Amino acid sequence: MTRINITHAVVVTLTATFILLAFDRAGELRKDKYVYAPPAPKAAPVAAAEPDPDKGKPPPHNDKVEDLPEGKNRELTFYTCTACHGVALIKAQGLTRELWDSTLDLMVDKHRMPPIKAEERSEILDYLAEHFPPRRKGRGSDNPFLK
Amino acid sequence: MLRSGTSKASRRNVLKGVGMATIGASLPPVGSALAQGAPAAKGPKLLEMEGKAKLAVLGDKPLVAETQAELLDDNVTPTNKLFIRNNGQVPDVTGDPKAWKVKIDGEVNTPVEISVGDLMSKFPAVTYQLMLECGGNGRSFFSPDARGNQWTNGGAGCPMWTGVRLADVLKSAGLKSSAVYIGSYGADPTLAGETDKPTISRGVPIAKAMEEHTLIAFKLNGQDLPLIHGAPARLVIPGWPASVSTKWLKRIWVRDKEHDGPGMGGFSYRVPKTPIVPGSKGNEKDMAILESMPVRSVITFPADGSKLTSRKLDLRGHAWAGDFEVKTVDISTDYGVTWKPAKVDAPANKYAWQNFSASIELPTTGYYEVWAKATDSKGVTQPFQAANWNPQGYGANPINRIRVLVES
Repeated sequence: MTRINITHAVVVTLTATFILLAFDRAGELRKDKYVYAPPAPKAAPVAAAEPDPDKGKPPPHNDKVEDLPEGKNRELTFYTCTACHGVALIKAQGLTRELWDSTLDLMVDKHRMPPIKAEERSEILDYLAEHFPPRRKGRGSDNPFLK
Repeated sequence: MLRSGTSKASRRNVLKGVGMATIGASLPPVGSALAQGAPAAKGPKLLEMEGKAKLAVLGDKPLVAETQAELLDDNVTPTNKLFIRNNGQVPDVTGDPKAWKVKIDGEVNTPVEISVGDLMSKFPAVTYQLMLECGGNGRSFFSPDARGNQWTNGGAGCPMWTGVRLADVLKSAGLKSSAVYIGSYGADPTLAGETDKPTISRGVPIAKAMEEHTLIAFKLNGQDLPLIHGAPARLVIPGWPASVSTKWLKRIWVRDKEHDGPGMGGFSYRVPKTPIVPGSKGNEKDMAILESMPVRSVITFPADGSKLTSRKLDLRGHAWAGDFEVKTVDISTDYGVTWKPAKVDAPANKYAWQNFSASIELPTTGYYEVWAKATDSKGVTQPFQAANWNPQGYGANPINRIRVLVES
């Protein structure tokens, strides 16, 4: 009796696995998911001694416009800021418009950002001040024991 | 007043909750996980990098990652747990590390370009346990927000460094009497990829450069420096903002005046001489260079958000104070109403952090905040809330807090 049950279980499990694998290979289970396309592999080094200049470096990283919250002037802000640094740095800030304004000064004066046209600067500031204003800090609902 | 201060610090300080996965829940919605397009997991993005632990990523272009308080628990910070702060890109460093050259010029009798191999063979090697701490460590505790990477207390670590004394190297080049400051340059390209302009170039007065614990380091915890930590040679100038501890060291320019490279002026690594209204723009002309880092304590065990099964709490952590020594660490479990001294160990050497520990009997079950407050050899202690607000957020060292729940 027991033997028969185990055999059944094995057969059913294996059959299910094969069916799932078949679907998976056909892409049926991953239809709408973003498919990661790895960068083309580098040409195999001709000389074995060729050092890899990327060894020990941080993993590659790319932000997308969608990583910033939707809103007017999002694209302008994205392309202006991420020419140099990542979106994470923007999103970590919560500043008044005045401090965002002086942040752009800092970028131009100290970090070699090309000067921005007055109109574009104003649009970028509109976006930043709206989406990344000073945050209210305080003991709110973030207590780990309230979950 | 006090209440808003404590809540702010506590909220940000307290990230290290019941497990790594919950960390993000204590971060404000902006600036947390989604920044990196990571899957919808909660919490900050965790670093995925060969040779490094899962540090909390504050930014990945440039890569900046801090060590969560509970990962700072080791007495000597392991290499994989040392925080990462970059200002630009990581340079290509290939070929023989011993052939890497460092130029010493400016106010010296004999300007030299000396290879790492020659530095190693000509000068005595020394090994010390030395603090490395980002100048912006603690920035997230400022209210309102200050500009920059939102460090909690994890922009700090205390590993073993091996190298030669910068003083020996400068002496051999012959310091002129006009030498008052150094400025140092690394090989890191700017974020825009330029290699002909410095990404950052800071420096220290000649007296700090000549201290016996100021090193040109080649090894970290006995192994060759990893690339991300400045291989093949970097400065280690302990006790001061780590931006003076130039990675991928290419040049030391001995100056006849205060160094003026990028990162030395304006609001960078400076604090107001006259206190300014928090959140205001500030005045560049009324700022002083942040030299010694302020006194700080971090409870590394238990982790914030721990559930305890006993009212007996054995806690431990580290404390340090820039150029100075920590004299006392006090613990409060009643919001600062009463304090109890912790046991504080002597540092392994000058500029090493100090371990502290305490055994505390909590009066009841239930919810407690455990606060730690260090006081340095000058009698200077940690404030209840981050003080002397400045636009770029330096010097925030409020009392450290964790939250625990005693269940049975």
